[in-house]
Amino acid sequence: MAERSQKEVWRMTPWLVIALLLVNFVLMAFDAREISSGQRVIRAWTQTAADFVQSPVTTVTTSISNYFVSISSLRSAQDENSKLKQKVQEQELQLQQQKVLEAENARLLALLDLRERSQPKVLPARIIGRDPSVWFDSSIVNRGSLDGVTLNMPVITDGGVVGRVSAVSPLTSQVDLLTRKGSGIGAVVGQIGETGALGVVVGTSDSELIEMKYVSGNIDVQIGQEIFTTGQDDIYPPGLKVGDIVNVISGSATTPHKILVRPAARLHAMQEVGILLYSPPDRLEYERKLPNAVQPK
Amino acid sequence: MDGVRLTVALIVAVVLQWTLRNVFEPFAYIDFPLIIVVFAALQRNSIRAIFFGTLSGIAVDALSGGLLGANGFSKTLIAYMVSEMTRRVYLDNLLLRIPVIAGACLIDDLVYYGLHWLLGQPPVGDALVTVAYSLIGTTIVGTLVYLILQNLSGQKPKRRREMFPSRRQTRRRNPIRLNK
Repeated sequence: MAERSQKEVWRMTPWLVIALLLVNFVLMAFDAREISSGQRVIRAWTQTAADFVQSPVTTVTTSISNYFVSISSLRSAQDENSKLKQKVQEQELQLQQQKVLEAENARLLALLDLRERSQPKVLPARIIGRDPSVWFDSSIVNRGSLDGVTLNMPVITDGGVVGRVSAVSPLTSQVDLLTRKGSGIGAVVGQIGETGALGVVVGTSDSELIEMKYVSGNIDVQIGQEIFTTGQDDIYPPGLKVGDIVNVISGSATTPHKILVRPAARLHAMQEVGILLYSPPDRLEYERKLPNAVQPK
Repeated sequence: MDGVRLTVALIVAVVLQWTLRNVFEPFAYIDFPLIIVVFAALQRNSIRAIFFGTLSGIAVDALSGGLLGANGFSKTLIAYMVSEMTRRVYLDNLLLRIPVIAGACLIDDLVYYGLHWLLGQPPVGDALVTVAYSLIGTTIVGTLVYLILQNLSGQKPKRRREMFPSRRQTRRRNPIRLNK
């Protein structure tokens, strides 16, 4: 009898495998479609459940590592203290000069009748989890829809752009880094208006570098120049630092430059990030009617 | 009872996979759920192993930047392949299980990578380096985990004499007797 049931199990197993493989394949196809279309529901709820495990583990490990870091940094504290005092004095001077310039700027703006652009609010967030798969580099932060986070909000550090929010649950959010293949940021070499070197920054197969594409080969581009966002991608506000150029393979009149960029944010050593509560400005009517315009989701 | 222990081991493996990368980056190269899925498949309970593969894969995918279901697909396939192999080949020896976990890790990585290429979501990083590190990490940790699980489940490794029965030694006799 036992032998017969074992045979039945063996006979049933291939069908079960086929059914489960099909389920997984349908999930994959569904998810691949959702990546470009909007919220990934299953992820959002799993992240909420995982938050109850990830947050306490992160709190414990961070406090332990902070304890050891503080012990090791005690040695150099005295030297650092005297250097910092000197720096504070220098910065106080700079601050005073800056205040004078700010006042002057405000007066000039008032003269020109220009409205000051409102800066988006920054929501500080802590990284509570990294991608469990070694093949990807997304991170999970402890801010979700209850804190006002929505899909595609830009994520930054003090260094520069980190990426964008790709899935939101009530308590947590998933952040896709700018190094991910398939990501894209509208960018310019130097500050907007300095150069006409506009292009798109995309992820490469290298997790340390990103590539700036479509920069005309006629424009002079140098190693060491900085890359900033243009705000034309409807995700990132203009003027955020993306990175520095580390290599340029010069193009010609007909071919664009191949520009390699090192991200300004230290992507693999982040503990805290800021989520920009930014929504892109509405497009003008004629821009929305252009054949290549991105339609609002 | 064995099923309960394995289920607990699988839950622990998934939680470790979710959390350990944030503690120390190289832990990402160890595929804890795969180790448990292969161990379950080696216990000759194919249905349990297949369900373990699907569930643990989806649980890992849900927090990953990759496609939901890719890990579930590859681990289900691995669970089936290993359980079929266990049905045909004697794999109760720890030494024989080492190449099984190494092979499972290699196939799992290749299937996962291939699926992402197929659906237009290529992963980040050098595939060869990632596969190599993953293979080393998972094989070493997998071997240690199997030792622990064997001891916990009371599957003591069999004595050498039972595993490899000695060949029957026939006494040689000289057919030509010279002295008589």
